[in-house]
Amino acid sequence: MKILFALVKKEFLQIMRDPSSIIIAFILPLISVFIYMYGLNLDSPRITMGIKNDNPTPETSTLVKSFGHSKYINSISTDNMKEIEKDIMRSKIRGAVVIPNDFSTKLERGKSADLLIIADGSETNTANYVQNYAMQISNLWLKTSKYKNAMAKQVIEQNSRFWYNPDLDSHHFILPGSIAITMTLIGILLTSLVIAREWERGTMEALLSTSVKPIHIVLSKYIPYFILGMLSLLFNVFLCVVCFNIPFRGNYFVLILVSGLFLFASLGIGLMISTKLKNQFLASLMSIGLGFLPALMMSGFLFPIRSMPLFFRIFTLILPPRHYVTFIESEFMAGSILPIVYVNAIYLSVLGFILFMAVLKNTSLRLEK
Amino acid sequence: MQTVTINNLTKKFNSTVAIDNLSLSIRKGKITGLIGADGAGKTTLLRTMIGLLLPNEGEISVLGFNPVTQKDELNEHIGYMPQKFGLYEDLTVLENLKLYADLKGVEHDFDKMLEFTTLAPFQDRLSGALSGGMKQKLGLACTLLGTPEFLLLDEPSVGVDPISRKDLIKMVKEMITPETTVLWSTAYLDEALNFDEIIVLDKGKSIFMGKPTDLADNTKDFENKVIELMGGFNMETSPIAQDYSEIQTDIEYTVVADNLEKRYGDFYAVKNNSFKIKKGEIFGLLGPNGAGKSTSFKMMCGLAKPTSGTARIMGIDILKEPEKARTNLGYMAQKFSLYGSMTVRQNLEFFASVYGVKNTKEKIKKAISTFNLEEYENQPAEDLPLGFKQRLSMACALIHNPPILFLDEPTSGVDIIVRKEFWVHITSLAQKGVTVMVTTHFMDEAEYCDRISLFYKGQTIAVGTPKELKEKANADNMEDAFITLIKESEK
Amino acid sequence: MININRIIAMIKKELITIWKDPKSRGFIIAFPLVQLLMFAFAVTMEVKNIDVTIIDRDNTQLSRELISRVTNSPQFRYVFYVDNEKDLKNNIDVQKSLLGLYIDNDFSQNIKRGKPTSVQVIVDGRQTNSASIANGYITQIINDFSNEISPQKGAKINPIVRNWYNPNLEYRWYVLSILVAMLSVVVTLILTALSIARERELGNFDQLIVSSLSSMEILIGKTIPPMMISMTLTIIMTIIVTTCFGMPFVGSVLLFLVAIFISLLSIVGVGLFISAICNTQQQAILSVMTFMMPAMLLSGFISPIDNMPKVLQYITYLDPIRFFMVLTRGIFLKGMGIVDVLLNVIPLIIIAIITLTIAARTFKRKLG
Repeated sequence: MKILFALVKKEFLQIMRDPSSIIIAFILPLISVFIYMYGLNLDSPRITMGIKNDNPTPETSTLVKSFGHSKYINSISTDNMKEIEKDIMRSKIRGAVVIPNDFSTKLERGKSADLLIIADGSETNTANYVQNYAMQISNLWLKTSKYKNAMAKQVIEQNSRFWYNPDLDSHHFILPGSIAITMTLIGILLTSLVIAREWERGTMEALLSTSVKPIHIVLSKYIPYFILGMLSLLFNVFLCVVCFNIPFRGNYFVLILVSGLFLFASLGIGLMISTKLKNQFLASLMSIGLGFLPALMMSGFLFPIRSMPLFFRIFTLILPPRHYVTFIESEFMAGSILPIVYVNAIYLSVLGFILFMAVLKNTSLRLEK
Repeated sequence: MQTVTINNLTKKFNSTVAIDNLSLSIRKGKITGLIGADGAGKTTLLRTMIGLLLPNEGEISVLGFNPVTQKDELNEHIGYMPQKFGLYEDLTVLENLKLYADLKGVEHDFDKMLEFTTLAPFQDRLSGALSGGMKQKLGLACTLLGTPEFLLLDEPSVGVDPISRKDLIKMVKEMITPETTVLWSTAYLDEALNFDEIIVLDKGKSIFMGKPTDLADNTKDFENKVIELMGGFNMETSPIAQDYSEIQTDIEYTVVADNLEKRYGDFYAVKNNSFKIKKGEIFGLLGPNGAGKSTSFKMMCGLAKPTSGTARIMGIDILKEPEKARTNLGYMAQKFSLYGSMTVRQNLEFFASVYGVKNTKEKIKKAISTFNLEEYENQPAEDLPLGFKQRLSMACALIHNPPILFLDEPTSGVDIIVRKEFWVHITSLAQKGVTVMVTTHFMDEAEYCDRISLFYKGQTIAVGTPKELKEKANADNMEDAFITLIKESEK
Repeated sequence: MININRIIAMIKKELITIWKDPKSRGFIIAFPLVQLLMFAFAVTMEVKNIDVTIIDRDNTQLSRELISRVTNSPQFRYVFYVDNEKDLKNNIDVQKSLLGLYIDNDFSQNIKRGKPTSVQVIVDGRQTNSASIANGYITQIINDFSNEISPQKGAKINPIVRNWYNPNLEYRWYVLSILVAMLSVVVTLILTALSIARERELGNFDQLIVSSLSSMEILIGKTIPPMMISMTLTIIMTIIVTTCFGMPFVGSVLLFLVAIFISLLSIVGVGLFISAICNTQQQAILSVMTFMMPAMLLSGFISPIDNMPKVLQYITYLDPIRFFMVLTRGIFLKGMGIVDVLLNVIPLIIIAIITLTIAARTFKRKLG
């Protein structure tokens, strides 16, 4: 016990001496959370669009105005198709709306009037917004315009309610989700070099000639980074809840418990890399390839898992961040929903335990196998 | 009573035999020296004794334990200091001591230890910032914690100045009980002469076991005897120097240090250091660890920027035209600093091209043969035994026929034969007009120098030929002269 | 003072140290390719496989017709029928369904009487983007159905959508163009950021400097090998992307090569800059992360740059990944011309010059 305590203390002192761990655990999340909050918007980003009116009537000019007044659109009027082409090429505008010259006439006659919507398909995500915004704005305009009486009555009205996030504010899930990325970095990137480093600097040989046992070495690597990770978690939660007013409807105890399990599993991956790969270049590449990128791309944090092909949906099940992202988003927005909590918690603890045993088994007390 | 008994021990790494059917015993309560050339199997033997490596054949018993099966029990009774001692460089002196005390389950009572090691004033300094000698003292202190019954020290005195080396031996002798057994591996034969017993290893076999005094009673003879045991040394002319083009220059003083000064805040690492080295002279920089030798060295080749003053290499200012000045320089760093993952040949090729050497192929072929590197030609440099690494470093430093050679502890950690060989090369090169600036901790090597500058606490305290210095100190060997002069300057 | 032979020696040395170890060779090739294949298949912003839970209190031919429109739509997968609101809530809570559809018992009656009727849609808002897209799908289905059964026709706006450069809005094309840039960036950054830091850790760097190599020569020697590797890698990825994934390549190959060359050069600059200021490999890799994370988020691939606050928009001008992604996308899909390529290349050249100059100066200054 005393041995373990001494090793843990040593590891802590080393963490404190090297500012880079502190940067990863506290400064980087601070920057990221700030960017997630102010830089990213996944549901209603403001985009720039061109608008060309080939049918200048008093009515269509109010339509053009509605585009100008929309808070989602930054509209640029033009009467030159060439300019639209050039601006889309340069990504100056993401798309354009062209009002054809028979637009008012058709509406006046109670007919369906075409509206040409051009989108820059090379940026698929913004292309969808171009189409949706254009239709929303023009339909809203139609309902208040003088053609409203010529409209057919809507037979079925749809009433949508968005649970857990009625205003569909994407920050409510991105900010909690980003905690998963930070915790992955602490769990995998920070630790992927720590065992290799002891071998490289010769400290391992000195340790091995004392009464240190593998369990001491392994625990002395887990505990300090676990504590660092949990402190970072609290810091992140504080940023989200207190500084950025992200609603938290869950239970803090459950949040900390499952976060702990996730960190435990991530540390297992990081230390596994560290015991297996003594080369720092490979270890770095591995920890980014196994840790950061999958956490960013395949955890469901930014891209929905639902839409992946079956094979990859199953594949994501082995990724700890996938389970954690599912859990933490739900915990923040919907509160503790038991099935979600325990399915993910059980998986994370089983994986964490298997990895722990594997790390222990791979920590040899001799210089050779 | 035997602390260690080994019967027919064999240890192989893949196909190379590191220890070959070795049998020996080490007596309890004695200090036993382990001597041998690089790659003779010293480190492997120590590691096998404490169970870090597993033997292929044979039996080992250490303190009555079998290291193969009872490593944990054994480890509680021993103290082991690896060659690259495992100090945590980002922890302070005191933190390192506390860590190892806790690992061994002993009290935090370091007063005696700190006083003994003279580390007390530095106890809150990061151990990475200590000088080489201090680091070794701290490493030894950590190993001695908990008064182990059996102490295994793997070349603890490598890279340590004579004064600190004496301290290390004194520390060990005073901190142990009469029952403690010590196994001390070393390249310093004067050290070995003072041990109770010695074991000389060669190619994994023991070629001598017994009292050192059975071989000889003074260092010189002892050295010769050991060299004889290890196969003898009879190189008189250096093949490198033979092919070396004579250095032609009108410059009288090829290396000049002009008031070099390096200051960190209020602390002077080097203070107005000035000297001039003549063409073809061997100039030794001597001094205790941390005296500022390395800093001066680095400033001389432009690796560190002086706070004031400058250095001139072949009349070229190192600060103003560093690249031009360096083309005249062959440099061998203290630490092995070639590319470990490249083969011997690739390293040579690289440095040859970097220095713009003409007829590279021929040069490399010659370098490989004169330094006896044929066997290792296509092996990665990191797998070479230490002595061969040093040879390769020297080969790389000489590949472009430089008129000036800077050698920073070139013989640190290499065995006596390789050292002798090195000095034959160095002296012969000097005869060809090569100016050599060298640092060393071997005082017998200092005798080879034409002139010596003794360095202490950032300042030159004496300059002169070895003879002059000895006279000044009224001593009959360089080691005593060194110690006396340093003590005098303390006053 | 630049000597070609010395630079060639540097390059050879760099390539040997990176390329010799079969493990690291395998990693450099396999890492981006595996990730490319994995993400290309998996990553999409589209919403598919929507599961819906339905309460049909009306249970008439009309309500069943509406439900069949929903279930037959390609975006929808499983349908769960429940008869009480508690089960519906539970299905959404545990994420068994993304959508809930509630049809009241007067649904068909109202329609027959010519009265407006309404259906209730419940969407799981935890993933807002999926939620709003799924809601859009169902709105479309309900509106179409409503128009179909409506006795009268009237004025309405009929959108005619033209998606330039990507008529079917293949999301994968977008992802692929990004992945090519992103994975090249990751490999290039790690390759370069560790290179000087590693030599410093091992003591090689002092030896290099004493070997009378000038800063310029070291810089060039350290720049070319990672450029060679990452250029090759980017080209291989481009070939895979265009042949195996049917991604169009409309632009000029020459312009593309110039664009990726300059883009990678600026990334190499950033990597060497990081390497020059770091003492250990550990610090270098953590600094890479500290750079890469914000740089990727701000590059515009997740959320458009126009939407960011002005301050952040200005910061993105410092982000080489931003321009790199615009260039790959622009040349792959839009066939960007020389002027437009130049507009994006110039900032990259400036970034490359600044970072490389600082790197060269820093490794000299570090000596003192």
